[in-house]
Amino acid sequence: MSDASNSLSPPAPLARLRLSLGRLGLGGNILIALLLSIASAALLIALAGKNPLDGFLAILAGAFGDTHQIGVALNRTTPYLLSGIGVAICFRAGIINLGAEGQIALGGAGAAAAALLVQTAPPIVAIVVTLAGGAIAGAAWSGVATILHLGRRVHEVLATLLLNFVALLLVQQLLAGPLGQFGAGFLQSPLMPRTAWLPKLAGLDAHIGIGIAVVAALAASFLIWRTPFGFALRVAGSSRLATTYAGFSLQKLTWGAMLLAGALAGLAGGVEVIGIHRRLIEGFSLGFGFKAVTVALLGALEPMAIVPAALFIGFLETGSLAMQRQIGVPSALVTVIEGLTMVYVLVAMAGRRT
Amino acid sequence: MIEFLAATIRIATPILLAGLGGILSERAGVFAVGLEGMMLVGAFAATIGTWGTDNSLVGLLIALLGGGATGLVVALVAVRYRADNMVTGLAVNIVALGLTSYLMRILASSGKPLAIHNALLPVLPIPVLSDIPGIGPLLFAHPPLTYLTVLLCIGFTLLLNRTQIGLTLRATGENPEVVYASGLNPLRIRMLAVTACGAVAGLGGAVLSMQQVGTFTDGMTSGRGYLALAALIVGRWSPWGAAAACLVFGAAEAFELRLQGFGIPVSSYVMQMVPYLIGLAVLSSLGQNARMPAAIGQPLTRDR
Amino acid sequence: MAALLEMRGIVRLFGDVRANDGIDLFVHSGEILGLLGENGSGKSTLMKLLYGMLPPDAGDIRFDGAQLKGHTPFDAISAGIAMIHQHFMLIEAMTVTENILLGWPGAGQILRQKHMAAHIRDMSQRFGLDLDPDAKISSLSLGRRQRVEILKAILRDAKLLILDEPTSNLAPSEVRELLDIMRRLKSEGKGIVFISHKLPEVLDVCDRVVVLRAGKLAGAAAVADVSRNDLAEMMVGRTVPMPQVEAGDQARGPQQLSVRGLKAAGLEAITFDVRAGEILGLAGVDGNGQLELAESLAGLRSIADGSVLICGQDATTTSVAERVRLGLAYLPADRSHTALVKSMTVLDNLMLRDTMRPPYGSAALLTPAAGRAEAKVLMAEYDVRAPGPESVVGRLSGGNQQKVVIARELARKPQVVVAHQATWGLDPGATRFVLDQMIALRREGAAILYISSELEEILSISDRIAVMAGGSFAGIVPNRNVDLRQIGLWMSGRAA
Repeated sequence: MSDASNSLSPPAPLARLRLSLGRLGLGGNILIALLLSIASAALLIALAGKNPLDGFLAILAGAFGDTHQIGVALNRTTPYLLSGIGVAICFRAGIINLGAEGQIALGGAGAAAAALLVQTAPPIVAIVVTLAGGAIAGAAWSGVATILHLGRRVHEVLATLLLNFVALLLVQQLLAGPLGQFGAGFLQSPLMPRTAWLPKLAGLDAHIGIGIAVVAALAASFLIWRTPFGFALRVAGSSRLATTYAGFSLQKLTWGAMLLAGALAGLAGGVEVIGIHRRLIEGFSLGFGFKAVTVALLGALEPMAIVPAALFIGFLETGSLAMQRQIGVPSALVTVIEGLTMVYVLVAMAGRRT
Repeated sequence: MIEFLAATIRIATPILLAGLGGILSERAGVFAVGLEGMMLVGAFAATIGTWGTDNSLVGLLIALLGGGATGLVVALVAVRYRADNMVTGLAVNIVALGLTSYLMRILASSGKPLAIHNALLPVLPIPVLSDIPGIGPLLFAHPPLTYLTVLLCIGFTLLLNRTQIGLTLRATGENPEVVYASGLNPLRIRMLAVTACGAVAGLGGAVLSMQQVGTFTDGMTSGRGYLALAALIVGRWSPWGAAAACLVFGAAEAFELRLQGFGIPVSSYVMQMVPYLIGLAVLSSLGQNARMPAAIGQPLTRDR
Repeated sequence: MAALLEMRGIVRLFGDVRANDGIDLFVHSGEILGLLGENGSGKSTLMKLLYGMLPPDAGDIRFDGAQLKGHTPFDAISAGIAMIHQHFMLIEAMTVTENILLGWPGAGQILRQKHMAAHIRDMSQRFGLDLDPDAKISSLSLGRRQRVEILKAILRDAKLLILDEPTSNLAPSEVRELLDIMRRLKSEGKGIVFISHKLPEVLDVCDRVVVLRAGKLAGAAAVADVSRNDLAEMMVGRTVPMPQVEAGDQARGPQQLSVRGLKAAGLEAITFDVRAGEILGLAGVDGNGQLELAESLAGLRSIADGSVLICGQDATTTSVAERVRLGLAYLPADRSHTALVKSMTVLDNLMLRDTMRPPYGSAALLTPAAGRAEAKVLMAEYDVRAPGPESVVGRLSGGNQQKVVIARELARKPQVVVAHQATWGLDPGATRFVLDQMIALRREGAAILYISSELEEILSISDRIAVMAGGSFAGIVPNRNVDLRQIGLWMSGRAA
């Protein structure tokens, strides 16, 4: 207001630095977080007695070396992207849904069951039915969490976390029973009918799942920014009181966000089953749900930004397997990087909150 | 029967230790989703420490420090930088999983995890009491960390209810603004509580690797941290309540092991679900009556 | 005798705003100093600086012979300063004893609760506080809670007590008891700073007064030497002309808002009507059911019994959105969390309750371009000073934030308006803007329920005045030759 007060406090060097960092915006902060986790990774590789540069080169070569590797990386990206979008939709609304892990697993089971039911259907029908089966199973599982949360007032984090364990065991039980292949020696389903196999992208070893995922990201972005439902989600994430005042129903919003997230996670499970393994295998999606949270955060909860975030993780994982083979740095490094990236991004996002 | 009860206590101990740590964190107002990672680091640190120094006491100390360091990371991100408690806990769990597995492998330099076989902590029967027929061996012949767990149960109950530290801790979980206005520093209290939570949960992990297995395997806590989280809520944030919940969870698992032993055709997968289902069932029936610490999960609004 | 507290040349900036600008203040032991000023005049900031909750940018604080510099609340408490906040600093889930023990070094590390409880009972008797040490705070009335705070200060040997607006939430009888307690503390040699904007109470109990205005010292005097009018002029600086509505100077229309025997949590059977082109002013001490009434009308609380008719339609059980469609606008008292989403833009906040209506959107889609155009028009019309529709609302001043709320609610051309503390925290210019908007709406034929604890505003714009006390209407009169004594009696919850 008064000019005099401005001159009283000239920005100190530190404040000036913070000011210019602030201008980078959230995207800039997330980039810094990413650089920090890469630096941490370098440190860990050095700790293993290897040259970090060699390690990174091996990762790059492993990820982009040939079209096969690129295809593998795209396939890895797909489930993270699909389920990450769902996580982002929930987080946007202030619902901390940590249940993608279980929803993906059950989605895989639902897809497998659907595929085995429509053995004789023509290819496109079989694929659509299979993926729908996955989405429905995933949504049903997130629906259970939603009932516990809304109906019985169980905190959504506890409901979703505990249900993850139940879901994983449930899938094992299904594989030991109705969905299992008799005499396989370990827990897996029979091979999916060929009609339900997800076709490959021309010239790549990737299946078309990545296309489905990118379309889902576009749709989710449109939903969040261009529809009253998305607007209501964003309001709910900022202020519960304002949400009710605005006339939006928190119950309906929670149902909407949770079912969407569950369906996307279930779809991810289904894509994985008919795109990669062609059967349901025990533990096929171990850790996927938590990576969904990583990519959602890394993409700042913005579906279009989650696309590169998921690609980053997908290519990183593919490359690190090559790194392990070539120079002997354990691929568990990736898990560390993923976790650290989450930690740094959390700090970056929180630091901006006023 | 005695065997079943002994198994129950054995299974409940690591979960309860982690749960006790979680009580400190949650009573101070920070959700303890990171228990899993704290346990895992503790289990790892205890194994490596014992293996490196050939001294299990040093190993336990290192487990304490490792768990505490993990807690400190959660504290920095969730308390100092006010990030979402839950997601922070999850992130730290992932880091812990990756880091322990990575370090096990680079220590061996063969690409395979280091092969360590530490001697288990010895059973220390309490003289006289352990000779009581029946309950003697059940209650008074355990490895050291089991006794420690019981002592901490008593200690934490006294700490929370009878000391200024405990009162301040609880107040920070209820209303940090009031704590601040009383001239105390809620930020520091939360940081300390979460760090202490990590240290205690680290010991919980050490129970697994030092008292029960003798080595460290990737992700060996396999969800016990989350069970501890459920136990402390089911036990309404009181040490004895958490102990009761842990014993119930332990009994469910011990029962399953027994059934398998008898060759009774009950699916082990369904039985393994039981602790989680009990947790969910109790949480559902508590509903609105579960009075959480009022300010849990709420970031502090001041920097000081 | 040296003063107990001396503050000299205190300066504190918040961005560009000089919240405290060279303020001097001193207090002696055994003296009650009244600290007067309007909302935003800098009283709270000054006390936060004293208490160590904020550091000053310049100035010198001496307390009890020692300098206080870079101190924290802990240091202030140890020095003997006790602050009794407007919002009590008590933990509701804990007992009186636990609250008193919290953070008290004198209590020792190992707590002796029974011993302490006995001590509390003694002290409570000595000062006439009437407190049960084992009661949970959540079960105590606001007046009782305040006494817990006072007892806390006494037990910690506070030499100076700062009471921040201590009477604003109290019933009149509790106010009298509080003033008695203050006199007793004074006679025991305590220094007291009594922050208030209620002149009669200040004149009743204080020895001296200091008046702040816009962050500066506007005056200081012994109470014996000043009149109520002197103080009022010092506080306001200039007389802000209030708009004046002549009751009954306009033909009233049909009943647009009809409330019949409305009961809800905190409300006892309430019945009233507001006609088109009429302002019903609802006065009363804050916390007597105004929020409950406003939220029940807006659809944010469930109604236990009775009925609400909006424009002739039964709206007792309809949703918030349906009531908006029926023509109800609502300006909530809680601007930060209910009326606005501070992290979102001006445009977002303008469309908050109208996303499914043109020009902002339809049931399925938003139309951002049309919405932005509309936002620009509204920002000009309602004089919202912001760089553009994409500015974040949280960065605007309180007055501009309220203008966003008013623009949104009034642009819908509502038939019925419920406004609750619509001028809270606003400067005189912004207050005038709000009142003028209400009068303009009345001219256009809206029915307005104007809820405020500022009697002056109620008197200036209402056609009729109702008074709320204890969750029900104590009385309702036309705004013509109003008997202020009777309004005061109604406010204090007693029949005239």
